[in-house]
Amino acid sequence: MASMEMEQRRGNGSTGSIISFLHGVGFTPLGLVLLVIVALLPLVPPFNQEHMIRWLIMGAFLAAQAAAFDFTAGYIQVVNFGFAAILGLGAYTSGILANTSPVLAVQPGVSPWIGIFLGAVLAGVVGLGLGWLTLRLEGIFAAVMAWFVGIALMGLVRNLTELTRGPLGMNPRSLLETTSNLPYYYIILAMMLVVYVLLRLVTRSNYGLAFKAIGQNIAAAKASGIDPTKYRVLNFAMSSFFAGWLGGFYAHYFGSLTPQTIMHTSKTVEVLALAYIGGRGSLWGGMVVAFPFVFGIEQLRSNLTQLPGLHLVIYGVLMIVVMIFYPDGVAGLIKWAKSKIAGE
Amino acid sequence: MVEKSSFGTSLMETISENLPASIVIAGTIVLTIVIGTVAGPSQILNSIITGGMWALLAVGLALVFGVMNVPHFAHGESFMVGAYVSYFVFSPINRSLGESPNPVLGAVAPFLGILAAGVAGLILGVILERLLFYPLRVRTKQGWVMNAFLLTVGISFILTNGTTLVLGPNFRGIPRYWDVPPLNVFGVTMAVDRVVAFFVALVSIAALWFFLRRTRTGRAIRAVSQDELGAQMMGINLNFIFPLTFALATAMAAISGASLLFMFQAYPTVGLQPLYMAWYVVMMAGLGNVVGAIVGGFIVAILQTATQQFFGISWADVIPTVVMIVVLLVVPQGIFGSKIRSS
Repeated sequence: MASMEMEQRRGNGSTGSIISFLHGVGFTPLGLVLLVIVALLPLVPPFNQEHMIRWLIMGAFLAAQAAAFDFTAGYIQVVNFGFAAILGLGAYTSGILANTSPVLAVQPGVSPWIGIFLGAVLAGVVGLGLGWLTLRLEGIFAAVMAWFVGIALMGLVRNLTELTRGPLGMNPRSLLETTSNLPYYYIILAMMLVVYVLLRLVTRSNYGLAFKAIGQNIAAAKASGIDPTKYRVLNFAMSSFFAGWLGGFYAHYFGSLTPQTIMHTSKTVEVLALAYIGGRGSLWGGMVVAFPFVFGIEQLRSNLTQLPGLHLVIYGVLMIVVMIFYPDGVAGLIKWAKSKIAGE
Repeated sequence: MVEKSSFGTSLMETISENLPASIVIAGTIVLTIVIGTVAGPSQILNSIITGGMWALLAVGLALVFGVMNVPHFAHGESFMVGAYVSYFVFSPINRSLGESPNPVLGAVAPFLGILAAGVAGLILGVILERLLFYPLRVRTKQGWVMNAFLLTVGISFILTNGTTLVLGPNFRGIPRYWDVPPLNVFGVTMAVDRVVAFFVALVSIAALWFFLRRTRTGRAIRAVSQDELGAQMMGINLNFIFPLTFALATAMAAISGASLLFMFQAYPTVGLQPLYMAWYVVMMAGLGNVVGAIVGGFIVAILQTATQQFFGISWADVIPTVVMIVVLLVVPQGIFGSKIRSS
C-alpha cells in the first residue's frame, strides 16, 4: 500500500501525471503492459489462427465476467449465484429483440448493437430486484437466494417457448457480417476494458468505500451512516447491467443460445472459480487469470481427448487448493511478489 | 391460582407463536385435499413417498449445516456416489441371478447394494472431512461459512467431472430392483421399489433420530450444533464429531441415491436435482433444523405434485422456486426457524 502511494507521489512532470492517471483508472504499468500484449497477440503467429483468436475471445469474455462478478463478491461480500442466469437474460433479450425470422413469435428486428444495451438494461433492472430481494439476508442466505432466482430465471426462459424456443435454443443474428473472429475480439476486448475501468472508478470512489464497509461489517457501516439498502441494490444493479451487456455480446457472437447451457449454475461456478483463483476483491485478479486459463484448458482439452473432463477436474482441484491455502489468490501472490521486489 | 387452559387455547397459542409455519402447514393440508379430490388418492400417496425421499436427503444437509456450519453444495454428489455403488454391487448379482435364479438372494440383493452405498458414503464423508474441511477450519477464522460453501462447490465440481472422467457420462441404470408385480396399497397400485424406498427412508430417519436423541454420541453431536465452544469445554472432541457428522450425512444421501437407483439411474450429474430439492427443503424449513427438514420434505413434495398437476411438469422447478423466494422474503430464517450459527 505504502509503495503504491510513493509511486504516485514520486511522479513529477508529465510522466508522473500519466502514471497517476493510469493508476487512477486502475492500471499499474505492469497491467498496461499485459493489456497491450493481449491486444496485440492475435497479430502474432501462432496466435493469429482462427481457433486461437476464438480462445482469446473466450478469455476476454470470462475476464470481463470475473470483474463484474468480483464487484459483488469481493466488495459487498455477496456471492451472486444467479450471475450466469442474469447474463443469459441479457443474451436472450438481445437475441429476441434482434430477431427477424418467423421462428419466434415476435420479430422486432432491432439492431443487435442497440439490443445489447437494451438487454443490459433489463439485466440491470433484474439485478436491482435481486439486490432488493437479498437485503434482509446475510452472506450464505443471500447467495442461496440468488441461486434460486437464477434457477427460476432459467426455468422461466425455458418455458416461454414462443419467445425463446425453450430447450431447443435460438440462434440470434450475428453482430457483424464478417466470418473472421478478429473484429469480435477487439469488440469484446473493448467491452472488457470498459467494464473494468468503470467498475474500478466506482470502487475508487466513496461508493467503493461504502461497498467495502458493508461487506466487512454491516452493523458498523450502518452505525457510520451508510445505508446498506441503497449500496447493495446499486452494486447488484451495476454488476448485473454489465453481465447482461456481456450476454448480449455472447448472443450475437456465438449465435446459439440454450437456457440450460448459458444460464446454468455451472457457468456461474466457472466465473466464480476464476474470480476466486484470481483473488477476490482485486477486480483484476480474475481477468489476469482468465486468459492463461482458457488457453490451458483448451490445450488440455484438445490434447487429452481420451480423458474428457480432466481439465475440469484440474480446474476444481486448483480452486480448492487456492481456497484452502492461498485465499488471496493470484492477486495476493502478485502483491506479495511486488512488495518483496520493492524491498519492504 | 393456576388456570388450566383448554386444548383449544393452547393450540391457538402455538399457532400464533409459529404463524409462518402454521400458515404453510395449513396451506399444505389444503393442497393435499385439493390434489386428492382432483387427481385422486394415488397422487397423495405418490407425494408422501416422494416426501420421504426428500426428507432423507434434506436431513443430511440440515445436519451438516447445524453441526458443522457448512452449507453443503456437494450433497447431490453423495447421492450420485450412492447410486453408482449400488449399481456396481447390484448389477453383477442381478446378472448371475438371471442365469441361476435364487429367490432369497433376489430379495436381498438390492439391500446389499443399498448397504454398500451407505458404507461408501460413510467412508467418503470421513475422507472429505479430514482431507479438506479440517485444513480449512485450521486456516480460516473469519468467513468460515462462505469459504466452506465454496469448498463444497469445488468438491462438487471435482466429483462430477471426475466421475465423467473415470466412468464416462453414460447412464448406468436398472429397470427395477425386485422383479415382482406392483403392490396394491389402499386401492392404489404402487411399484414395490417405491414402497421399499419409502421405508428405507423412514427407517434411516428413525435410526438417525434414535441415535441423536438416545445415545451419548448423538447428544454430543447435538451439543456441538448448539454451542461449539461450550461443547468443547465439556470435553467433546470436535475432531471426532465433525467427521462422524459429515460421514452420517453423506451416508444418508448415498442410501437415498441407492434406494432410488431404479428411478434416477446413475450418471455423473444425477445429483443435481436431489441437491436442489434438499436445498429447497432446508431453506424453507430453516437451516440446520433437522426436524424441520423432515416435515419440510413432505411439504415440498406436495407442492411439487400440485405444481405438476395444475401447471404441467415443465413449471415443476419454477413455481416451487418462486414460492421459496416468497417464503424467504417473509421468513428469512425459514418457517421452522434456523439453527445455524452465523459467523
